[in-house]
Amino acid sequence: MTKNNVHGLSRRRFVAGAAAGIGLAGFSRPVRAQAAPRVVVIGGGFGGATVAKYVRMFDPAIQVTLIDPARSHITCPFSNYVLAGFRTMDSITHSFINLRANGVTQVLGTATAIDPVAKTVRLAAGDPVPYDRLIVSPGIDVRFDAVPGYDEAASEKLPHAWKAGSQTLLLRQQLESMRDGGVVLMSVPGNPYRCPPGPYERAAMIAHYLKTAKPRSKILILDSKEMFSKQPLFQDGWKALYGDMIEWVPASKDGIVKRVDAGAMTLHTDFAQHKGDVINFIAPQWAGAIARSAGLTNQTGFCPVDPVTFESTVHRGIHVIGDSSIAGALPKSGFAANSEGKVCAMAVVNLLKGRPPEAPTYVNTCYSLVGPDYGISVAGIYKPGPQGIVEVPNSGGTSPREAPLDARKAEAVFAEGWYRSITADIYG
Amino acid sequence: MNPRVTAAMLLAAGAALCAPGAARAQDANPMLLALSCAGCHGPEGRSPGSIPPLWGRTAANVLESLAGFKSGQRASTVMGRIAKGYTDTELEAVARYWAQPAR
Repeated sequence: MTKNNVHGLSRRRFVAGAAAGIGLAGFSRPVRAQAAPRVVVIGGGFGGATVAKYVRMFDPAIQVTLIDPARSHITCPFSNYVLAGFRTMDSITHSFINLRANGVTQVLGTATAIDPVAKTVRLAAGDPVPYDRLIVSPGIDVRFDAVPGYDEAASEKLPHAWKAGSQTLLLRQQLESMRDGGVVLMSVPGNPYRCPPGPYERAAMIAHYLKTAKPRSKILILDSKEMFSKQPLFQDGWKALYGDMIEWVPASKDGIVKRVDAGAMTLHTDFAQHKGDVINFIAPQWAGAIARSAGLTNQTGFCPVDPVTFESTVHRGIHVIGDSSIAGALPKSGFAANSEGKVCAMAVVNLLKGRPPEAPTYVNTCYSLVGPDYGISVAGIYKPGPQGIVEVPNSGGTSPREAPLDARKAEAVFAEGWYRSITADIYG
Repeated sequence: MNPRVTAAMLLAAGAALCAPGAARAQDANPMLLALSCAGCHGPEGRSPGSIPPLWGRTAANVLESLAGFKSGQRASTVMGRIAKGYTDTELEAVARYWAQPAR
């Protein structure tokens, strides 16, 4: 018997109970006592798995259902270290088994539509899943309509590798097959995109591999921006560890890629064309498909939310967290999604009990490796303000630019510790 | 998950939800403040890796560290930058949360 069948059986009982509850309590009031409130979470990444676990932890009387087509999650954080060759895919893959042990029910499937009036999630296959509160955390989708020539087929030759998995392995295999003296091209989109410092850490991790295996090779980063996260720290680190191997071209120096010729392995800018032996095309992004099809996005392609509860400002009763949401000053990072997941879990528990949500504080701490013993970080504390989520003044920021090598080494060690802690917090 | 810890978590959650001040919008819930720490220091503050654990420490000990990070008297990589984002009252609340007996 499949998991779906087991789930379907228990669900029918819950539907009957919930219907009775609504009849007694009226539509405008939360369903209580007669049936367990139902929280449904779409997506088992850093945001979704966190909110699922913490809703159960805050109130075990709530029934929590996670909808995800996989039984595990491959993390984007640390996938750059797979490219460098010092991490395996297994080591960045985290099973949902402990979520289930914590009382979260998984529906193995893909959410295809949301009915915000009937309060159900439709699946690619199987019965619709009813909810009292829904949390949408699908992460980003890569846009295949943004840069001419870069479509899904092109991504099989020029991997974006911005969703960890087969794309990560494809890029690693291409780097392994590349000749010494080859050119690795990277294209980086304009803001907003997942993991602002990620492309620059990736350049360093690819350089680390090339320095040992193919030292005559080059990395050329064509950027759609003028500046980037932790820029002076990255540029100092690149120079110190890899000399001139990495070259960065900002938008104003003709860095914006206007057209992709996948057949010729060439990226076209306004005034030049660049041929690559390997091309990592980090394309522009938007919210995951289910958020877009449910109409939760605005003209930016991402989802506007309340800064206190992460409830959608489009559809009440639906929350959007993680990279799909517009979270003000909070970056699109795994740590931020974890922080948002805890705040959203508490807000959902309060709202289901008819209580006002509480004033939250959000945190982001983000490590990047420049080399195996060379780490840098950025941290921030955030609170909701009248204009959305803003950073607490006079706090946070990046590692100091002038720092001894043992400080860089300490941050590399802490990066590893951070990954072990946060994945234990979410999937442990 | 350790059942004893779960019970402690739930008690803490219940206390926070039921506290008279819970509805005051500007009062930060100590648990919500403190749970951010788990992102680096691990669930229940039991860091499985290289980051120092919060588990098993007294409130005074945690607060002494946090105050030192905030003032800059205590050297750190990232904690100085983080501690500066909190008021002294918030840091006290965080320290007390992590020192709960069941923890």
